[in-house]
Amino acid sequence: MSAEKTDYRVTGTAWAGAWKIAAGVGVLGLAGAGYGYTVDAQRFAFSYLFGFFAFLVLALGATFFVLLQHVTNAGWSVTVRRTAEVFMSALPIFALLFLPVAASMDHLYPWTHDHAAVHAAASHEHGEAAEEGHAPAADEGHGHDHQAGQVLSEEQIEHQLHGELMASKSPFLNRGFFFGRAIAYFLIWFLLTRKLFANSVKQDTTKDLGLTASSQGMAPASLVLLGLTTTFASFDWVMSLLPGWYSTIFGVQIFAASMVVSLAVLTLVTYGLRSSGASGKAITTEHFHDLGKLLFGFNVFWAYISFSQFFLIWYASIPEETVFFHMRWSDGPWKSVSVAIVVLHFLVPFLMLISRNTKRFFGQKVLLLGASLLLVMHFVEMYWQVLPNYAAARGVLPTHAESFAPHWLDLACLLGVGGVYLAAVFYRMAQHPVVPVGDPRMSRSAHFENA
Amino acid sequence: MSVEVTTISVPGGRPAVVLAEYDSPGACMHAAEKLRDAGFTRFDAHTPFPVHGMDGAMGLPDSRLGWIVFGMGLTGLLSAIALITYCNGIDYALVVGGKPPISYPSYVPVCFELTVLFSAFGAVFGMLGMNRLPRHHHPVFESDRFRAFSDDKFFVSVECADPKYDTASTQALLEGTHPNHIEIIEDNES
Repeated sequence: MSAEKTDYRVTGTAWAGAWKIAAGVGVLGLAGAGYGYTVDAQRFAFSYLFGFFAFLVLALGATFFVLLQHVTNAGWSVTVRRTAEVFMSALPIFALLFLPVAASMDHLYPWTHDHAAVHAAASHEHGEAAEEGHAPAADEGHGHDHQAGQVLSEEQIEHQLHGELMASKSPFLNRGFFFGRAIAYFLIWFLLTRKLFANSVKQDTTKDLGLTASSQGMAPASLVLLGLTTTFASFDWVMSLLPGWYSTIFGVQIFAASMVVSLAVLTLVTYGLRSSGASGKAITTEHFHDLGKLLFGFNVFWAYISFSQFFLIWYASIPEETVFFHMRWSDGPWKSVSVAIVVLHFLVPFLMLISRNTKRFFGQKVLLLGASLLLVMHFVEMYWQVLPNYAAARGVLPTHAESFAPHWLDLACLLGVGGVYLAAVFYRMAQHPVVPVGDPRMSRSAHFENA
Repeated sequence: MSVEVTTISVPGGRPAVVLAEYDSPGACMHAAEKLRDAGFTRFDAHTPFPVHGMDGAMGLPDSRLGWIVFGMGLTGLLSAIALITYCNGIDYALVVGGKPPISYPSYVPVCFELTVLFSAFGAVFGMLGMNRLPRHHHPVFESDRFRAFSDDKFFVSVECADPKYDTASTQALLEGTHPNHIEIIEDNES
């Protein structure tokens, strides 16, 4: 290879000032979101959760990627690992960005209201109404245990059962434990990403092999911890938007989404770094081929998991499970979004990325297009995860056109959270070489070839 | 002309393969490049481990196996759709679990499995077919030296059936690549 020297820094390229642009967008977005909060606090809550979670999933995916490289002692990925590391390193900033979610939890999570009491009151109300029309003594045998001697309407029973269900979930879904868990997630993420990032950048100057050993040593246990925290964070922050509903595969589905979006971003950003000349000749067609393979593979995995979730619920057809897809698959506006996700998040990228040629040739243009499409569809999918619950919170039926009502706050929150997060990412990127120059496997990674 | 050339004869045989032995992957790859540049198409390299860049050195085009696999996968997908639609939708329409006879979510697992099965058949049998396998014998196995291809030697073999093959010039070309040894192996298959 050529003897061309490069310091692998973004100095002098457009990337050097990228953090300022991101920060500007972030501040404007958050200002807009703040104004939106004063106008419609409930809409703000859902829009903000969407923006928060969409970018959180990206940061978690980048952390998974870094840990996977360490746990497998991967040599090929060394030169693209630093890009994933900067996206990982800004994960702790979500602790700050979580504050608006915490502040609006009353708007978001139905379990924050005392369900048992609400439903007991509701059932009592209906009970009085029912008594007027019936002779109490006639149907005594059919009454519910709790209110023996009184006839309960179907609606009352529903309220009562729902109240009991919520009461049974309250040991897990209560404010204190919710915040306790959130603090635990952020603490784990902070310690984990700080150590991994510090090891990597320290090696840039010391070239100490022990740092590689340190990262590899902590990787297996960290993967388990990250898997658990990702699962429970998605249970807490998104699944509990609909507290009566549960899906044990939900965390895996979010993990799959995190891998897809982080690989899409990694492909786009490493390509941008190479085009700007910052990464010199360290990133080659071989890396794009491998990133493309992983992107394709994880997108198929995402489709597999997403379909598994849908399929089991669809087949069993149990009301408390089907409610999630009732909100997204009934004839109504959200069904169009669901179909768009199937086509544009799976079918089209599948055909675009399946061939070896599209990952290696055409100047990577097809790969970049596929990665861009998957990035956009990630936001659509996260919107689809969160926003149907806004319609439900207002009592709008999913078959009603108004259940899908995009709002400018969605964009403001997405840009606000994304801007702040990316400002932190690009600031880190500007401070360090864009490839881990001290890694002993640097040269192996720069020159490897797919067999 | 310092390279030793031996001929392995069989009764009634004609030259079938010219085999050149090298000590290093680099020399072997260089010989493959020369053969490629001279326009040979029916030659092969035999090495103890995969040599990066050999595909390019031999001028091998992209494998067409992917198209066979893709075609077979598509066949599997369509077979599954046809099978379920006929069995569950037309021949014996039966409501199972409250689902109508033709309900497409239930197609997916069967479609997936048959696509994978047919693709795997396409990959395995397509690979065998394109390599003209199974084949019980090949003239290169007449050579005792050739056994080292799975140990520490690197070989290039040129089929005499190659349109560019010419006894004198091909031998001269191989000698120019400085092999340890050249063997001309005969075969009596018609």
